[in-house]
Amino acid sequence: MLQDATRRYLEARAPVTYLRQLVEAQTPMPDIAWREGAGQGWLAPFVPESLGGMAESAQGAIDAAIVAEEMGRVVYPGHYLPNSVLAFAIAQWGSQAQRETLLPALAAGEQRGAWCFAAPGVDSGTAPDGVRLERSGGQITLRGVAANVQSAPDADLLLVTATDGEGVTQLLLPAATAGIEVRALDTLDLGRRLADVEFRDVSVTADAVLGAHGAAADCFEQQLQLALVLHCAETVGVIDRALEFTLDYVQQRYAFGRPIGSFQALKHRLADHAAQHEGGKALVARAAKAVQEQAADAAVAVSIAKSHCGRWATEIIRDCLHMHGGIGMTWEHDIQFYLRRAVSNEALWGSPAVHHERLCRLAGL
Amino acid sequence: MSATPDDTKDNAEEHAFRLRAREWLRTHLPPRRLQDEPMMDWADKALIARDRESQRALWEGGLAGITLPREYGGLGLDRRYADIYYEEAQPYRLPWHFGNAFNIVLPTLLAHGSEELKRRYVPAILRGEHLWCQLLSEPSGGSDLAGLTTRAELRGDHWLLNGSKVWTTGGLDCDMGICLARTDPTVPKHAGLTMFLVDMTSPGLAINPIKLISGTVDFCQEFFDDVAVPADHVLGEVGGGWAVASTQLGAEKASMARGWYEGLAAAVESDEIELKDEYGRMARSLGVHEDPRARQLIGEAFVLDAVHTLTTRRVSAGIRNGALPPTAGTLSSLLVALCDVRRSALLSGISGPAGVAAKPGEEGLQWGMTRVTRHRIGGGTTEMQRNGVAERHLGLPRDEADIADRTVPFNRRKVNPDRAQ
Repeated sequence: MLQDATRRYLEARAPVTYLRQLVEAQTPMPDIAWREGAGQGWLAPFVPESLGGMAESAQGAIDAAIVAEEMGRVVYPGHYLPNSVLAFAIAQWGSQAQRETLLPALAAGEQRGAWCFAAPGVDSGTAPDGVRLERSGGQITLRGVAANVQSAPDADLLLVTATDGEGVTQLLLPAATAGIEVRALDTLDLGRRLADVEFRDVSVTADAVLGAHGAAADCFEQQLQLALVLHCAETVGVIDRALEFTLDYVQQRYAFGRPIGSFQALKHRLADHAAQHEGGKALVARAAKAVQEQAADAAVAVSIAKSHCGRWATEIIRDCLHMHGGIGMTWEHDIQFYLRRAVSNEALWGSPAVHHERLCRLAGL
Repeated sequence: MSATPDDTKDNAEEHAFRLRAREWLRTHLPPRRLQDEPMMDWADKALIARDRESQRALWEGGLAGITLPREYGGLGLDRRYADIYYEEAQPYRLPWHFGNAFNIVLPTLLAHGSEELKRRYVPAILRGEHLWCQLLSEPSGGSDLAGLTTRAELRGDHWLLNGSKVWTTGGLDCDMGICLARTDPTVPKHAGLTMFLVDMTSPGLAINPIKLISGTVDFCQEFFDDVAVPADHVLGEVGGGWAVASTQLGAEKASMARGWYEGLAAAVESDEIELKDEYGRMARSLGVHEDPRARQLIGEAFVLDAVHTLTTRRVSAGIRNGALPPTAGTLSSLLVALCDVRRSALLSGISGPAGVAAKPGEEGLQWGMTRVTRHRIGGGTTEMQRNGVAERHLGLPRDEADIADRTVPFNRRKVNPDRAQ
């Protein structure tokens, strides 16, 4: 039901042609479009009923993964992942005041969030290593750069995960805080805006802290797991749709007097792709369930899903483009948007290599 | 291995059955030797003999054929009792050499056998008298099963079989075989086949073991030289062999999906992912556990294992509950094969030079070249599996040459001109 409703909404209001319009017009998705989407109740699984959500009756990560997968199918340009993470984090660890002021605004799409944590570099994406924190008295100073922050150019509110000698601390602050510079990046994925966020001696008071000072290592991990589930679910949706229209194409396109989809050279590749795609679906389903239940294998499950989905999305969609022949290489064909997102999703939030290493560490190796 | 079985859902009768099974199994069946005990090892004659004894004992103890109809020697109980039995049987060695007989032959026999054949051969399996093999593949080809050339000709009250079969699991030790042969070469290939039940001790039937690269001798090749099969030992219709073979292959696939023999599958209930110690142990023993390149490969191996297990489980559950079409089974079989192929490469990659040159007595060579034959070829080549996914699941059109080959009379199909008679 959730899946059908989401699909209907996205196909009506944000099909891939909508992304193309934004790209052609060289304009980001307008605020009002995100507000309308958020109005579908996308963040409700994380927001308690008392604040207008439905966290008590929903299955947070599992429901959110269903929505994210549908977004992948249309290469949705909205801000779903970071806002889900912020809503989840604030609902879990926020003070009464933080919950009451921020959750309804996030859920309605009136405020938009972004999550700053990772240092730049090839290993980027799974550790809170970008921002350092210094505490003296009631004053906190932030320094450093958080890289590739999704939706940061559009964000009003930043969740910052920073470290000092005491451990991991999280803070919530307005993006407009003095000393914060959001430097938008050129992105391969034309439907997603990323930025490096620099903190130059940003001074905040202790009431910006989310949860307890120095005690957020586990909170960070839970947020990361949720983000990875949504990210992988989106990737699955991207593959799903790309395979769907490629299967149509190879049956309609004739060469040598028959549909090109009857040639084994293509059939066998498509069979491999379908099998790997099914594998990705199984991994994401497990990851979502494990994260929602905070099962013992949650950390492992998300890294496994990220490695598999990341790698195969790129491989599969690159080959789908190939099977389209010349038309697949043109600007007018939508497959470019799918490939762009797939390649981006493989590299961001920890490449497969980063997650392989993480798996070795989780295995005690 | 497994936790104490959950008996809270039992009703009184089920619980009584459980207690009886528990006590009987404890006093009659041998424990498993190893956690990952090989289900079948056709070189281990003592193990085969013990499995025959165990199956006989199960029969005598009233625990054989739990869900099978009473008229064929079964207990006629519902599925729940079989589940209880397998839960209780977890700690023991079940007679796994009867796997082919139970998983493949039995469902095929029940679906297509005459009343007389069922009454004769089903109880013989339950009593531990007949190990069965499948006589399907031939030296001339394995993938194109329907193109087989072993022929059967009716001579009065018996058929005479001539030709050769190959890749028969346990051929030397089996008592009976289920054999597909050509009875009419003048019709298209699928239409001219008939399934026979063959006594493996028949005169004229020569059975030779085949030694594989790995050194194992689980497979055999058979030569049929005027082997006589009674006319009533036809399974299904004369000329209807392909339908029987389809049931048989379906039963084989289904049993593979549920872990070959249920006693093993029941051990894996939880869908939680476990990272195997095996790779870490291997890397440490080779001294490569801190090498970043080896760690990349190990990480990928963890991913493969999870893909393999979770996809198989999700697809079979999906087919059972209707979320996925039955053809989705082709996806998980192909994926398992793809994972296996890649895993072999990873293991040799992790072991590096130690996988090809080890000091005498030290570990290494076992990882250099693992499972080369297992999933690329055995149980259907990956090419056939890909055709299955593409044509049956994705609905892509068949190749024209394939269509032509399926419709032309068998004796007029294209053959290698150098081999034509």
